[in-house]
Amino acid sequence: MAGVVTKVLTAGIGEADLRDIDVYRKRGGYKQWERAVRELKPADVLALADKSGLRGRGGAGFPTGKKWSFLPAGDKPRYLVCNCDEAEPGTFKDHMLLEETPHLVLEGMLLGAYGIGAHHAFIYIRGEFKRGYAIFMDALASARKAGYVGENIFGSGYDLEVTVHRGAGAYICGEETGLLNSLEGKRGEPRLKPPFPAIAGLYGMPTVVNNVETLAYLVPILEKGADWFAAVGTERSKGYKIVSVSGHVRKPGNYEVALGTTVCDIIDLAGGLRPGRTFMAVQPGGGSSACIFEEHLDLPYDYENMTKAGSMLGSGAFVVFDDTTDFVKAAHNLVRFFAHESCGQCTPCREGGHWLEVVLERFVRGRGLMSDLEMMHRVSSTITGLNLCALGDSIEPFLKSVLVRFPGQFEARALREGVPA
Amino acid sequence: METLSATRREADFPALLDRLKPECERIIAQYEDRRSALLPIMHLFQEHEGFASPEAMRACAAMLDVTPAVVESTVSFYTLFYRRPVGKYVVQVCRGLACSINGADEIMAHFRERLGVKTLETTPDGLFSYEEVECLAACDRPTCAQVNLEFVYDLTPQSVDDLLAAIRGGTYAVAPMAQTQEPPRTWSVRQDGEVSTGRKTEGATDVSHPNNAGGLGDATGVIMLDRIVLRDAEFRGRTKERVVTEPPGTMRELEDAR
Repeated sequence: MAGVVTKVLTAGIGEADLRDIDVYRKRGGYKQWERAVRELKPADVLALADKSGLRGRGGAGFPTGKKWSFLPAGDKPRYLVCNCDEAEPGTFKDHMLLEETPHLVLEGMLLGAYGIGAHHAFIYIRGEFKRGYAIFMDALASARKAGYVGENIFGSGYDLEVTVHRGAGAYICGEETGLLNSLEGKRGEPRLKPPFPAIAGLYGMPTVVNNVETLAYLVPILEKGADWFAAVGTERSKGYKIVSVSGHVRKPGNYEVALGTTVCDIIDLAGGLRPGRTFMAVQPGGGSSACIFEEHLDLPYDYENMTKAGSMLGSGAFVVFDDTTDFVKAAHNLVRFFAHESCGQCTPCREGGHWLEVVLERFVRGRGLMSDLEMMHRVSSTITGLNLCALGDSIEPFLKSVLVRFPGQFEARALREGVPA
Repeated sequence: METLSATRREADFPALLDRLKPECERIIAQYEDRRSALLPIMHLFQEHEGFASPEAMRACAAMLDVTPAVVESTVSFYTLFYRRPVGKYVVQVCRGLACSINGADEIMAHFRERLGVKTLETTPDGLFSYEEVECLAACDRPTCAQVNLEFVYDLTPQSVDDLLAAIRGGTYAVAPMAQTQEPPRTWSVRQDGEVSTGRKTEGATDVSHPNNAGGLGDATGVIMLDRIVLRDAEFRGRTKERVVTEPPGTMRELEDAR
């Protein structure tokens, strides 16, 4: 079966101006919010999220209902934080949702906040999304005016405030505890876990951090039911996912597909490769993921199969490489990215990333050493697992996968023994 | 450029502060903790002064009841805060992987040639600041860039020329940034020289990278690291969180395991 695009979150984008609250309402917008506040208990929303099988769409893929259920009972204030600090190389779905359908993002946030019993929700928007920030502020103002945000919503006695927070340029603020520090006005350095944010998050209070896309899916899940969502996908990967396809394809863009659509079908949806080119690899889960290759083309694109193939689904960034790709440069590019974005707290990540960048730069200039090949394996795997957050661990997968698969490209850029430098 | 002197800007600052204070208070009131307003307040001042000035950082510190060092430390973490004045148009070109494999290198070379500056540099006329930045989340339209944080997509050498001509001719749609002080050649603040007193240990001076913990490494820096890695030391206490790509049973289990 060929892959098909199913428009759930992306419905109406490009056809109607969903930034206009009236347009959004005419298409059923804010109906689920009203229904939730009027008819459902927070526990019902949580149960729906749980039953739907929805997993985090930001990268880690943690089951959403389970994440919420870790919040301890009690009177402590609790917070919902929507993570819109999208910066994983190759990912551009949240950017689109924020700019094209801000009310859906907001409605998802409201539902999430209600589901965990929060009275204050935050959205952390990447500093570079200046336009998206302005669009979302407008959306929030009109929703506030309509009485969807603020005090005594729909006369229910439930209060919910929403605060929009703009980042200022730091990839690491997409890591949930780095984000919380940044939201507290600090350097965006990740925190030691445990305690996890569910126990001690924003201002030390129980906090849930969810990705934009994750929260947005709550709206159709409430509308159509958990079973509708859970009926699509594979055993442990339910529902739909927006896949950001880029690289060497003819029609790069965001494609919303059922999880389990094959890798090959996703490439076909994006128009396939350019004429005369051959497929080399796909990076299926953003800059932090390992490449997968020809033998993986028929695999269903879902959490478990990507993991089985030695990679991950991550944020759904899907970068396709054809035979024009210089994998030495690509590896240098990504390692440089992580070295640049390392917050510097953990020595393995800070030093390891930097020196790997130095070594790879030598290869880019054609002056690598044969002994560097083995050393890069060792250094990158030494970095992994020794850091507070996943950034350091993200250096290894892509580098290792291309070192193993395309050693010739690296060897060709190394100095030969006996040849003077 | 006489009007753009630092003394003039400093003299104007108290009036600006008076004008922005109500807005700052409104921002602070949104949060349970005052310090949360640090980023938004610095965004606000930068919008008006064109960069995160020392006066703004001190004023912010006073409003949030923290020390100026706390504000500067925080501000220095984020690449979108400029601690030195910049040009009226900050051009930030994406060097991310998806752009890179679709011609970003040529576009960046073209920008450098046309502007006559390298990354993190400002043109002598103070019109352009140029930076090559990480993935901008618009990978479907390479090469992308931002001009004063407004996106431009699908760049070609021709569209770059048109863009620069429009800015130089004053016909470009994006408004210039405020410019209240003459920009130096770069706004990037290095650990060596400008900030430190230069009284660091010998090994830590003149290191090529701000993250380099001085003294580690030979001329290429690599051999020493290699030696450390090869050393037969046992690393204990690896966090397996997020290394395991399948979700762990529950977070509580993880906590209990500790």
